[in-house]
Amino acid sequence: MIFPTVQPPTATVSSGGGVFQDILGGLGQLGTAVSPALPAIAGSLLTSEAYDRLSDVGRQAEASAMGLAERSLAESQFKPFTVTSTTGGQLGTRVTPSGAVETTMSLSPQEQAMQQQLLGGAGDFFGQAQMPTATREQAIFERMRAAQRPEEQRQRLALEERLAGQGRLGVSSAAYGGATPEQLAMATAQEEGRNRAMLGAMQQAQAEQMQQAGLGQQFLGAGYIPQAQLLGATQPAQRMAELQQQAQLYGTGLFGETAMSGIESKLLAEQARANLLGGIGSNIFAGMFTPQVNQRTGDVTSAGGLGDLGGLFGGVSEGLGTIIRGIGGIFD
Amino acid sequence: MAQELRSINLVAPAFKGINTEDSPLAQDPSFAETADNAVIDKRGRIAARKGHEVTTTNKTALGTAALRAIKTFRDDAGNTKVFSAGNNKIFSGTTTLVDETPVGYTITADNWKMVNFNDRIYMFQRGYEPLVYDNTSAVVEAMSDHTHAAGVATAMYGNEVLAAYGRLWTADFTDNKSTIYWSDLLNGIHWSGGSSGSIDISKVWPNGYDEIVSLAAHNNLLIIFGQHSIVVYEGATSPASMTLSDTVAGVGCVDRDTVQYTGTDVIFLSQTGLRSFGRTIQEKSMPISSLSKTITKDIISLLQNESDFYRSVYSPEENFYLLSFVGQETTYCFDVRGTLEDGSYRVTRWPGSLFTAYETRRDGKLFIGTTDGISEYKGYSDNGVKYRFKYFSPSLTFGDPSRLKILKKIKPTLVGANSATVFMKFAYDFGTSFSTTEFTVGNQQPAFYNVNEFGANSVPLSEFTGGELTNQRSLNAVGNGTSVVVGLESDINGFALSLQEINLLALIGKTL
Repeated sequence: MIFPTVQPPTATVSSGGGVFQDILGGLGQLGTAVSPALPAIAGSLLTSEAYDRLSDVGRQAEASAMGLAERSLAESQFKPFTVTSTTGGQLGTRVTPSGAVETTMSLSPQEQAMQQQLLGGAGDFFGQAQMPTATREQAIFERMRAAQRPEEQRQRLALEERLAGQGRLGVSSAAYGGATPEQLAMATAQEEGRNRAMLGAMQQAQAEQMQQAGLGQQFLGAGYIPQAQLLGATQPAQRMAELQQQAQLYGTGLFGETAMSGIESKLLAEQARANLLGGIGSNIFAGMFTPQVNQRTGDVTSAGGLGDLGGLFGGVSEGLGTIIRGIGGIFD
Repeated sequence: MAQELRSINLVAPAFKGINTEDSPLAQDPSFAETADNAVIDKRGRIAARKGHEVTTTNKTALGTAALRAIKTFRDDAGNTKVFSAGNNKIFSGTTTLVDETPVGYTITADNWKMVNFNDRIYMFQRGYEPLVYDNTSAVVEAMSDHTHAAGVATAMYGNEVLAAYGRLWTADFTDNKSTIYWSDLLNGIHWSGGSSGSIDISKVWPNGYDEIVSLAAHNNLLIIFGQHSIVVYEGATSPASMTLSDTVAGVGCVDRDTVQYTGTDVIFLSQTGLRSFGRTIQEKSMPISSLSKTITKDIISLLQNESDFYRSVYSPEENFYLLSFVGQETTYCFDVRGTLEDGSYRVTRWPGSLFTAYETRRDGKLFIGTTDGISEYKGYSDNGVKYRFKYFSPSLTFGDPSRLKILKKIKPTLVGANSATVFMKFAYDFGTSFSTTEFTVGNQQPAFYNVNEFGANSVPLSEFTGGELTNQRSLNAVGNGTSVVVGLESDINGFALSLQEINLLALIGKTL
């Protein structure tokens, strides 16, 4: 049996464009903050280095994550297996080249013979159940009549003897259908017996029809017992396969989480290095005095003041924060 | 030394009727060798029978034929009508015979049997569609022509019909001698539907095969007479359920018209004589049940020679059962008041009787059918024609058959027989040549109290007689023999005659 292979969901970053816009926006914001402080070019270079490193960190994180995903996908693939029962039946699974999982079952020759016999019998019974009942009714009726006739004959003879003894054998009365009251009564009783036999034959034929249908159902059900038994016999093995698959998936997940932890650690380390470079650049700007214009507020700080540096760092910090949030969005 | 005359008194001679079965020498003198045109009268004497007086004055439709059946229709409303059959016609009336034959209905035989049933009279004859008459339609019509008739078919054109147990029963068909059909309840014209039906008794005959001759109903039994057996069913009130009660083999009925009901018994003529059903059933056809044991051979001879038909009648008023062998013009009269020691009825014979039909009316009158039409059994002449009364004793040996008897005197005592010539006859030793001596009985007008004896103007006398002329004569006799037969003959022509006694005086001679 072939089942379609379930493909793992493709990881898509629906908000990838927004993230990079945020990063670029943040960088633009940095540039905007630096441009009024040309004197602090050196600091800016450091800051730029830090920015670049952050970009590298993002790309490496993405690449590592994709590699991790592909490896997890490969390691979480279904592992075909085959189960063989004690009676010789087999349940096998395999993955087709198209990726579908195919399950095959095969019975032992004895089981196949039994199955064919049962299914054939079921077909016969169903066929008989579909036959018109008239012929069977007639046959049953004839058998019932054959059973009744001897007794009827005995009764008829006894009545004849009785009538002969009474000298009434030749009686014909219009009031009794051209016979004697006893003959009419016996004929009526026998006719009732015939009618009962006829109705009984109809009921029996219908009961037999139901019985044929029931037997067909039983044979049909019994015909699938080898298969059901095979499936039952493979249940434990299938459970084992499920456990194996679960262990495999768990291991894959664990591996992914562990690997992702490493990536995150590396990202944090790189982020810390970037922060470190950024801190150095900030220190260089510490002594700047050039008045600074805050781009967001438009406020002008007097030159040489620390206020300009504050604005500079504020702008740089805000730009970096935006970059980090963008990178973080990649791994969400 | 002169011998003493021995007197032998035959008191009420022929009191026991005719006996032709026992040896004449061993017979009781109370039997008669011959008793023609005689009956046993109310005093137990042998007497001349009555004649018949013709009622019919216009018998044009009858022509020269004789009436073969007479029946009086009677319904609940009191309507009556006398029907008769003869000359291939159906008649009504007694004085004038009116042809009632249905138009287009062809008759070639007159062996009809007529029965009353539920305000209709039905007429059946083998091979003919039954005829029916009721006071509403007032015409005799074929049964199928009746408005409400049903199931009338050729198969049930029976010769025998019986009205009993609320139905009509018919049997003895042209092609079927073992089936009886019965009509619907109380409806003699419905032979299909309702509770009508039939029974085939061909498997019931005790001797394997027989043919139905007659049907009778008696004591809640349906009696089916075959020619040589009898089958009895009980419960005929519900014919579909009636059951065989008894069968009698070896005794059957000769003809349907010999069956008569006496109230306590059913009398019928079998192949060996007259029998009664009650006795037959009780005794299972034992010979003792014969009612005609004294004339068995005579009956059998008549049966064997009869080529025409039989008629019979039971008259409780006259206390007799008449059985006529029409083709041989002989009628036997059985006195039903009592039986002899062997169970037989006392019987006399009416030879030369041309009686062809009988009908006992409810008023006690007995109708007789003849070629003259309908007559009534009354008077002492056959429609003005005399008939001869005969009595002959059995051979009398006076208790000693070995000694010679020399008859000296014959002293008959007669009652009635006004102006009649009486012939006394005697013969010896079984001879057929009788010596005859005759005398004429005086003409005595009976004298009654306060009736003028000598005319209307004479002086009334306080003198009266018993109304009957008693005549006693003493006649000389001659000859001798060991046995003597004494006889008396007289033509009956207007007056009754009874033989009270005959006293014989004889000398007993030597032993031969």
